Amino acid sequence: MVDQSIAGPVMASVSEGDRSGRARIVILLLCLGLAAAIFLSLTSGASDASAVNVIGDWLFGTVPDDAAVSARDSLIVYDIRLPRIILGMLVGAALAVSGAVMQGLFRNPLADPGLIGVSGGSSLGAVAVIVLGATILAPVTVLLGTLALPLAAFCGGLATTLVLYQVATRRGQTSVATMLLAGIALAALAMALTGILIFMADDRQLRDLTFWQLGSLGGATWAKIASVGPIIVLALAAMPFLARGLNALALGEATAGHLGIPVQRLKYTAIVGVSAAVGASVAVSGGIGFVGIVVPHLLRLLIGPDNRYLLPASALLGASLLLLADAVARTIVAPAELPIGIVTAIAGAPFFLWILLRKRGVVDL
Amino acid sequence: MIEAKDVSVDIAGKPIVSGVDFHARPGEIAAIVGPNGSGKTTFLKALSGELAYTGRVALNGRDLSTMKPVEVAVHRAVLPQATTLSFPFTVREVVKLGLVGGRSGVLPGEDARLPERALARVDLDGFAGRFYQELSGGEQQRVQLARVLCQVWAPVLDGKPRFLFLDEPVSSLDIKHQLIIMNIARDFARRGGGVVAILHDLNLTAMYADRIFVMHRGRLAATGSPRDVLSDDLIEKVFDCRLRVGVLPAGNMPFVLPQSAA
Repeated sequence: MVDQSIAGPVMASVSEGDRSGRARIVILLLCLGLAAAIFLSLTSGASDASAVNVIGDWLFGTVPDDAAVSARDSLIVYDIRLPRIILGMLVGAALAVSGAVMQGLFRNPLADPGLIGVSGGSSLGAVAVIVLGATILAPVTVLLGTLALPLAAFCGGLATTLVLYQVATRRGQTSVATMLLAGIALAALAMALTGILIFMADDRQLRDLTFWQLGSLGGATWAKIASVGPIIVLALAAMPFLARGLNALALGEATAGHLGIPVQRLKYTAIVGVSAAVGASVAVSGGIGFVGIVVPHLLRLLIGPDNRYLLPASALLGASLLLLADAVARTIVAPAELPIGIVTAIAGAPFFLWILLRKRGVVDL
Repeated sequence: MIEAKDVSVDIAGKPIVSGVDFHARPGEIAAIVGPNGSGKTTFLKALSGELAYTGRVALNGRDLSTMKPVEVAVHRAVLPQATTLSFPFTVREVVKLGLVGGRSGVLPGEDARLPERALARVDLDGFAGRFYQELSGGEQQRVQLARVLCQVWAPVLDGKPRFLFLDEPVSSLDIKHQLIIMNIARDFARRGGGVVAILHDLNLTAMYADRIFVMHRGRLAATGSPRDVLSDDLIEKVFDCRLRVGVLPAGNMPFVLPQSAA
C-alpha cells in the first residue's frame, strides 16, 4: 500500500475518520514528554546532586573550587541515575508495547502481561535462577552468565503465554472469561512454584527476592542494561512489523487470513516477542504491573487503535510514565525508596477498575 | 475461474460437506442456496482456504492448498456473515484494512481515496468518521462489503479474474440495500470478475444468479441456471416445504418482488 505522504498531508487531514494526522502530533508530543521525564529523573532524587551542573561541567570543564562535589555528583548522575533512567525507559516501553501487542493478539483490551500470568511465569523462571543458580541450575548459570536470568524469565513467560493461548482460543476466537480465568490459574500456579523456591532460599536471597517481587528499578547498573537491553531493544524493534497484521486481526483471525495476513506466523512472532520483552523486564525489575493495560488504553482513547501509531506511542508513554513513577518511588519516602511496583499498582489498579466500569455492558465477560 | 472437485470437509469427525463439485466463472454470479445447516458456509470456508478440506480446489489454475495467504488474497476477497470488532475503529479505518494486501488494482496514488469511493458504492457516503460499533447490523455489513471491495477493487488484475465470496451479503439489509448490494455484485461480474454468493432469498437468487448450486445435507442436490433448478419438486425435496414456483397469491393479497424494481 502507498503511504499517505504521497497523497499529501493536506488530503490526509481532511479525510473524515482518519486519525493518522492526530496520531503523529500525539507521538511528537510524547517525544517531548519523554525528554521532560528524563530531565526530571536526572535532576531529582535522594541526593541533591545536580544533573545540570554535571552536564555543565561536562560541557565547560569542572569548576575548580568544588571539585569534590562535582566528582560526587558526577558519580551519582552517571553511575546511579543514568543507568536507572535507561533501564526504566526500556522496561516501561517493553511493558507498554507488550500490553498493546497482547491486546491485539487476544483481540481484547483487557489482556495485560501482568494480569494474565505472563509476568508470573517470567518471575518463576527468574526466581528459579536466583535460588537454584548455585546448585541445580549451576551449569545453566555458568554457561549463560548474566544472560541466564533474562533467558529463564523469557522461557517462563513464553511457556505461560503459549499455554494461555491454547486454553483461551478456539477456532480463532478468544474467550475473555476463559483467558482471564486461565490467567488467574496460571498466575496462581506460578506463584505457588515460586513460593516453593522462596521456601528453599537463604536469608540473603530472601531479602533480594521480596524487594524484587514488588518491582523495583533499584540496583540498575550498566551491566544489567548490557544483559537485557539488547533483548528488549530487539523485541521492540520487531513489534512495528506486526502492526498491520494486528490491525487486520481486529476483524478476527479468519478475516485477517482472507486479507492475506499469515496469521499463524503473526501469532507466534507476537507471542515470542512479548515473552522476550516481558521476560527481560521482569528479570531486571520484577513485577511492575498495570503499565501494559493503562498506557495502550489511554492512547486508544486519544489516537485510536491503529497499531502502526499505537505501538510507538505506547513505547514513548510507557517509558515516560515509568520514569515518573520511579521518580515518585525514589522521592516520596526519601532517603528510603518505595518499590516502583507499589506506585504503579496504586495508580493503575483504580484505573483498571474504571475501565471495567466504563466497559460494563460492552465487553462480554 | 474457480474449480472445486470432490470437496469434503469434516468438523470434529462429522462430515459437514461431502463430495461437492463446484465452479465459478468470471463474468458470472454463482449462487449457493440451501436450508440452514446444509453446509453452505462450511463449503465457502473451504473454498476461501479457511478450513481444511479433502479434494481439489483450483483458483485461476493454481492449487489452493499450495498458495500462501497473501497470494490467495490477490485473487479473492471474502465477506463473512457478520464481523465484530474488538477495538473502536472508525468506519474509514475498517474499510482501509481492505488495502492491507496492497493489490487493490488502482494506481498507487488512488489508494488513499478508495475507502471513500467504496463507502459511496455501498450507500454509506458520509459515514467515514463514524465509529463502527455505533452502526446498525445492516450498516456494519455494508462497511465490511466496502472493505472487501477495496481488496479487489479492479475485477481483473494482471489479466486474471478476481472473485468476491459473499456469505449471505444481504440477509440483514432492507430491500433497497439488498438491490444495491446485488447490483454491485452483478457489476463486478460484468466487468470481468466472478462472484460466489450464499443467498437465502430465492427471488433475489432467480433474479441475479447465472448459476445456482443447491446444497442439501452437505451434498450438491442440483446445479444449473435458475430456470432449470428452481422447480416445485426440488424446493420440496431440499427445503422440506411445499411451495410452487411462479404462482401468484390468490385474491388481492399484496406481494412485492425484487424483480419489479425500476
